[in-house]
Amino acid sequence: MRKLWMLVAVIGLVGAVLAAPQSALAAETELQLEGSTTVGPIADAFAEEFMRNHPDWRITVKKTGSGDGAAALVDGRCDIANMSRFMKEKEFKNAVDNGVFPVAHVVAMDGVSVVVHPSNPISELTTEQVRDIYKGKYTNWNQLGGPNLEIVPISRDTSSGTYETFHKLVMKKEKMAGGVEYVKSNPQAHSRVKTTQGAIAYVGLGFVDAYVKALELDGVMPSQKTIASGTYPVSRPLYMWTNGFPKLGSPTHAFVTFHLSERGQEIVEAKGFVPITNY
Amino acid sequence: MNRRRISDKAFTIAAYVVFGLLTLALLLVLGPILVKGASAVLFRGTVEFRELQMDEHERGDAQALAEELEAAEAARAPVFQMIAEFRRGIDIDPLVEQAREANRAYGDLLRDQNVDRDVYRDRRRAARDIRNTLIEAYETDQEAVAHDKLDKVLAHREDSIFRDTPFELIFEMARDYRRIVESVDLDHRDEYGRALDEVLAALRNLLGPLPGEEMPALIMNQYGATRWDRAQVHLENVLWAEKWVPAGPNKPMVKKRVPREEQFAGTSLAPLFPLLEKDLDEMLRPRWTVHWQYFIDDSKASHFFGGVGPEIIGTVLLTILAILFAVPLGVVSAAYMIECGGDNPAILVIRTCINTLAGVPSIVFGLFGLAFFVVFLLPWLGLSEGSSILAGSLTLAVLVLPLVIRASEEAIRAVPHTYKEAALSLGAGQFWAFVTVTLPAALPGILTGIILSMSRAAGETAPILFTAAVALGPIPESIAQPTRALSYGSYDMAVGDRIAAMVPHKQFGMVMTLVVIVLVLNLAAILLRARISRKLRG
Amino acid sequence: MANLPPDSAAAAFGRPLLTTPGELSLTNYVRKAGRAVLFLLTATSVLAVFLIFFFIIREAWPFIAKYGLDEMFGSTGWYPEADQAEFGALAIFAGSLYVTGGALLIAGPLGLLTAAFLSDIVPFQARQIIKPVVELLAAIPSVAYGFFAILVFAPFLQEHLGMATGANALNAAILLAIMALPTIVSVAEDAMMAVGKDLRAASYALGATRAETVVKTIIPAAHNGIIAAVILGIMRAIGETMVVWMASGNASQIPSPWWDLREPVRTMTATIAGDMGETVKGSDHYRALFTIGLLLLVFTFILNLITEYFLHRVAKRAGGMKL
Repeated sequence: MRKLWMLVAVIGLVGAVLAAPQSALAAETELQLEGSTTVGPIADAFAEEFMRNHPDWRITVKKTGSGDGAAALVDGRCDIANMSRFMKEKEFKNAVDNGVFPVAHVVAMDGVSVVVHPSNPISELTTEQVRDIYKGKYTNWNQLGGPNLEIVPISRDTSSGTYETFHKLVMKKEKMAGGVEYVKSNPQAHSRVKTTQGAIAYVGLGFVDAYVKALELDGVMPSQKTIASGTYPVSRPLYMWTNGFPKLGSPTHAFVTFHLSERGQEIVEAKGFVPITNY
Repeated sequence: MNRRRISDKAFTIAAYVVFGLLTLALLLVLGPILVKGASAVLFRGTVEFRELQMDEHERGDAQALAEELEAAEAARAPVFQMIAEFRRGIDIDPLVEQAREANRAYGDLLRDQNVDRDVYRDRRRAARDIRNTLIEAYETDQEAVAHDKLDKVLAHREDSIFRDTPFELIFEMARDYRRIVESVDLDHRDEYGRALDEVLAALRNLLGPLPGEEMPALIMNQYGATRWDRAQVHLENVLWAEKWVPAGPNKPMVKKRVPREEQFAGTSLAPLFPLLEKDLDEMLRPRWTVHWQYFIDDSKASHFFGGVGPEIIGTVLLTILAILFAVPLGVVSAAYMIECGGDNPAILVIRTCINTLAGVPSIVFGLFGLAFFVVFLLPWLGLSEGSSILAGSLTLAVLVLPLVIRASEEAIRAVPHTYKEAALSLGAGQFWAFVTVTLPAALPGILTGIILSMSRAAGETAPILFTAAVALGPIPESIAQPTRALSYGSYDMAVGDRIAAMVPHKQFGMVMTLVVIVLVLNLAAILLRARISRKLRG
Repeated sequence: MANLPPDSAAAAFGRPLLTTPGELSLTNYVRKAGRAVLFLLTATSVLAVFLIFFFIIREAWPFIAKYGLDEMFGSTGWYPEADQAEFGALAIFAGSLYVTGGALLIAGPLGLLTAAFLSDIVPFQARQIIKPVVELLAAIPSVAYGFFAILVFAPFLQEHLGMATGANALNAAILLAIMALPTIVSVAEDAMMAVGKDLRAASYALGATRAETVVKTIIPAAHNGIIAAVILGIMRAIGETMVVWMASGNASQIPSPWWDLREPVRTMTATIAGDMGETVKGSDHYRALFTIGLLLLVFTFILNLITEYFLHRVAKRAGGMKL
């Protein structure tokens, strides 16, 4: 008998949850963001700032990759797509077919930094050398003047915007070897390099910290200065895409123009990326 | 004979060893998770933690907190003083700016006094020259030159044109700087500057933003170390500088630790480090805290602060809905198969299908959930678009259905025939006999099955990956929205988050919460089953 | 029911005597209708299986129709998002095989030994305490195992065993072995318990030691159940997603030399879980993932049928004459 009452109580509870708030959503503000794991931390920080100032706003950020962000925008499943690369032709076509007209907003500049474990004495490589590492030509660091340690090349998944940039500007569109480990996101790549002595990976500038060592690429060290000036060879803009230009004064508009404010740029810089203005 | 005996003994020993290995594996897997995770709730919290709780959640005694903060500030004051003083010698930009400011103020004063044009020009030139000499004194890295320039500046100290004007500040600054030059080694100013930056970064992690600094943009930088164990780590970073030094021609570099006291030996900053070490507990005032609010708080700054409340809610919602869908179907199916089934070939097909369902990999369930519920059924019914709790729980329901059916079947079969026959002989119909006699008798067994299914549904990640889960988002307001969940959140924190790596207790805390929930459910099921078997054995 | 005497009062009614009162009344029809409803509810399991196959085939078929399965089985180049997309999944299939095979090599013998431990070596009361250990191992969620694998075990492999990377086939295989063990143990133990006292008594009476009894008599007698247990273990290992996604390294390669499990590999489940979030719905990549899912489904379905066959033989044996 006691168990029956428990069951009734549980059903009552669930019923209450299900029945209750279906109505009150009319006046609420909801923003859905999906996409890149590189832009993700910026979007997260913006979202927190907005929800702090507008407690009734609900902002969701999903970070599964630039490709998913584009797909979600095309399907109408999100308001803003975070992408660390420009949209592909396929995606534009899909969008227009669906009546969606993507507009890009550049919120920050980023440099794809090649990182190794801090104990690796190597401090610079050329893009050719990096390309050859990922093609499997070099398998041991001592072939490049480093210690006798097996190279563990780590790459982002093939649908990632970071991967696209690396693929275009460093790999020159050549294929990577099969033995390359694939990780899902910038933080995962960072954590693999942090814990594996022989690892080499590429991450967004915002993910370079004391636990990994950024290499000079063709003699240029990735930093806010070299990226902003364009001297670092693997720089790229970070985008937030919307369907058309958002209505002035709408929450979407506020969100995608937040990076132009001083506070927004502070946040961009605090996250380790390169602000696009000299605020 | 001996060989057979030996192999027998070896066999027995091997069996015990294997079992020991299993227990060891269980402890190794659960141990770190439970212990480190528990430290998310039970830890030594510092005054920064209590400040955070007050600012964000208004928890705690405001009066006591204010007193504590005062005491902590008093303890920290010497540290900040030493740093400020040292910085004056290192960081010349503010000083240069100040000098320029003083000169401008003097110029304004002269204009206000409406002096004669030539006099104005001469005085301003004199002031400018003195200012430039001072700035040169700041910028040189040779002590002799600095002293020389300072002497030149101070030679004009008594000039009447500067008396009682803002320009007197320049002379104060010159006197000040002379003192600093004597204590700082100007040659190494750049080096000191860099080392100081590292120390300051670690110090900010330890004590929060330095007084006079602007409030940082991100909340995670606005407070110092909130836990004593993290404080110790940051203290290490302050007290020791780490460098990677070559270890040999073919080897990777090794870490070398240099005490910072040595780095700054002979400067005014050297006593900072032993002072910090000695008085840290005064500055942070750690106290054992039981932070049970961890289970109801939302996470802040991507889990740097806060708790796992929304994840727990998400997991509970998904699990309960899945059970709601699966249990009626499952119990009815089991009852039907036993009561009305028999050797019908249809029943054989149904059983095969149930076994098939039990064997389908969880990721295939996820694909099915995506292809059927998310893309097709729910939009068609107009119930939701895209990921939702509804889609996720329906997928989980299909996953646990075979478990419920099997457990219910076992439970119903275990009820002695005599019960049913007695009911029938008293005139009850078949259906009535089942509902009032067999089902209640089988209920404990069915409940065991339900509890085990709940534990399975709560722990599954793959089925909700594409159907219901998001990593960061608001608490869902209806079941037509996606949600966070403990299982997906644990995955995300283990591999996804760089911030999570800074707060390992939060990583482990989330997975510990999941494991504890699952373990509690399983232990409940085990106890229930033991009670049943005791009862049935009589 | 006996035949009615032709000239009895009952025969005069023109129809057989009703055994159940009210057979033709409304309640009876309601009951029949109720039964039909219950049958339909029970048949939802069948509906579920049908829907699963239908929808996954629906999403996968355009890919199979367009590209066929040759490339998937023939090539190791998995570049689904390249301009010239390649869908060579051979390395991925090999990866699943590697971790499953490795898991089985470990869990098979250990599981059997543990099952023998539980059925023959340990006294009955102790079983009540020991079985929960095995059950707890089964209850731990796979994401917790994955957590352990990547945060505790992988660094251990790298730092103390000197492997180049701790996220590799060995890591995944060991964790999968731990996860498949409870399945193997419980089914094998049931099978070995079902063999019965008679056989054991006979063996001991002939002077066999316990090891000999278990190895030479019980295990062969329970072989149907043991085979079923092993196959169920295979199904558990090959279908596991989270652990392999987190801990196997996700490199689409076949380790060289072939026996070196210290290289990262990629499994079918990890590929689906990993790539799905980023594919455009309806694209070739999306359908290729569904195709891999379909192959997985078909493979486990076949394994399931085989298991059922063996379990059926166990039931027949237990129900029939004991040797």
